[in-house]
Amino acid sequence: MSISIPCFPDGLFHAVAEQESASPWRGRGRMTPPASTGSPPPDNRQHIDARLMQRVAQGDRQAYGDLYDRFSGPLLGAAQLILRDSAEAQDVMHDAFVTIWEKATTFEVGRGSAFSWAVTLVRNRAIDRVRMRRRRAELLADSVLSDLGYAEVATESTGSESAALGDDARAVRAAVATLPAEQKRALELAFFGGLTQEEIARKLSEPLGTVKARIRRGLLKLRESLALRP
Amino acid sequence: MIDDHHEELAALHALDLLEGAERTQFEQALARDPALQALVLSLRDTSAALAHLAPAVPPPPGLKHRVLASIDALEKNDPAPDNVIRPAPAVFRLSRMIPWAAAAALVVCSAWLGSRYLAVRVEADLARKEQKLTELTLQSSQQQLEAERIIARRRAENAQQQIATAGTQLETTRALVAERDRLLAEARTQTAERDRLIAEARTQLTTREREIAILTQRIDIFTGAAEEIGRKLGEAQQQVARLTFELKSQGDLADFKITTLASLLKNSPQALAVAVWDPGKQEGVLKVEKLPALLANQDYQLWIVDPQYPNPVDGGVFTVDPKTGEARRKFKAKQPVGAVNAFAVTLEQKGGVPVAKGPFVLLGK
Repeated sequence: MSISIPCFPDGLFHAVAEQESASPWRGRGRMTPPASTGSPPPDNRQHIDARLMQRVAQGDRQAYGDLYDRFSGPLLGAAQLILRDSAEAQDVMHDAFVTIWEKATTFEVGRGSAFSWAVTLVRNRAIDRVRMRRRRAELLADSVLSDLGYAEVATESTGSESAALGDDARAVRAAVATLPAEQKRALELAFFGGLTQEEIARKLSEPLGTVKARIRRGLLKLRESLALRP
Repeated sequence: MIDDHHEELAALHALDLLEGAERTQFEQALARDPALQALVLSLRDTSAALAHLAPAVPPPPGLKHRVLASIDALEKNDPAPDNVIRPAPAVFRLSRMIPWAAAAALVVCSAWLGSRYLAVRVEADLARKEQKLTELTLQSSQQQLEAERIIARRRAENAQQQIATAGTQLETTRALVAERDRLLAEARTQTAERDRLIAEARTQLTTREREIAILTQRIDIFTGAAEEIGRKLGEAQQQVARLTFELKSQGDLADFKITTLASLLKNSPQALAVAVWDPGKQEGVLKVEKLPALLANQDYQLWIVDPQYPNPVDGGVFTVDPKTGEARRKFKAKQPVGAVNAFAVTLEQKGGVPVAKGPFVLLGK
């Protein structure tokens, strides 16, 4: 499976600070116990991640190193796919992990997985950089929108993935592969392309309502598929 | 129960796709609805899993060192958050702690003063950094505003140019439309004229067809009449020929001179002859019966009496059958005969004579 990821049009993203202020982990103090949300208990991997995050919040550098080893591969891959620049992707990774160290105390287990939080931090920074890059490119190119290139989305696990995350990656890719092509395309554009709803609709030449419905159905089906995995 | 609309908004929110008023309204609803909050959280986890679609990239070893060095630097500036739970110090007996307590108090005071000094220095350092950050942010904002101003100006210039181009194109288009309208009107006029001519031609054609039909009928009638006339003419010609023939025949017969010659012989009173003369042909036919047989040196000779001559005209000699005394012969006059008064037969020497010398045998008028 492969998709093409467009560049990020102008004015797409909220500021990083705005994104983070909207995150469910803001302003919770250090290590509040998990809130009851009615959702199923996290699996072993999420539990291990949560425990590591708790230890990081207590200043445990060993746990921090472990968390880095677990997350850095997929996070750097996602950052690189969004930015298409390895050096910038590493800068984003650096900033995100420093933020994890600083803000670990605000993480709440019941407000989502540690991996999800880390993904949000990396993605927001990557998209923000793309936006700033596009600002410069637009100025130079006389505000002509142009694609900066395309990247391939992986369908198979790579040898560089850790064994544990490799299982997750395989499960996610298998679940995404079961989605209808139009739902998959909309989700990929929304996640990696960082486009607005209207821009996704224009990119796909579909009505806005259709794109919204595809994102909703795709995400719900993906959640259902991932919940059913062994 | 979350309706489809809020479920859709939750999915969009999980992917950070909500903006403006839509986002504000949804976040207000989200704050009131724990079930919606749970849905958003689960969908955020799900959307975060999409990161696994990217091929994992092994980070370079230097990156981890760089991250750890950065948090080391942070730790030096902010060694321990106030609310971090640290291991509790060991408890000693008070009596043994008094001298140490004094020393410790001194150390604590020194440490406190030192830490305050460091804290003030760190705060000043942080303030300088914040000031620098603010300046950078301001500079970035100014650059961004300048960039947006330049972009907006260029867009406006492009828009004006496009409007001018569109105006020119509009004028050209209007002229073309007017020219086409004129051509269309001309074409319509020509079409109407042609329609009128076609209608006239059709009318004439209809009239001609009707006239041709009438003429055809007349031709048929005339043809029949001509055939009848021809037939009647043929019949009339046949009748004329027949009548002509009849008239001619009647004329010929009328002109013929038919004379019966009686015997002048005492020894052959039964002798008889009939002479028929055709004045047109200047010839005739003689038939005799019961004439006496001739001697070898004798011939009967026919004479034609025409008043225009002093002597009878020689009609030639003939003989008869010695047994029956009959003869039939055609004869011609030696001279042209105008009118026939009588025929006569004489007995003459063999071969005949120019002027009658012998006795008359037969005579008729």
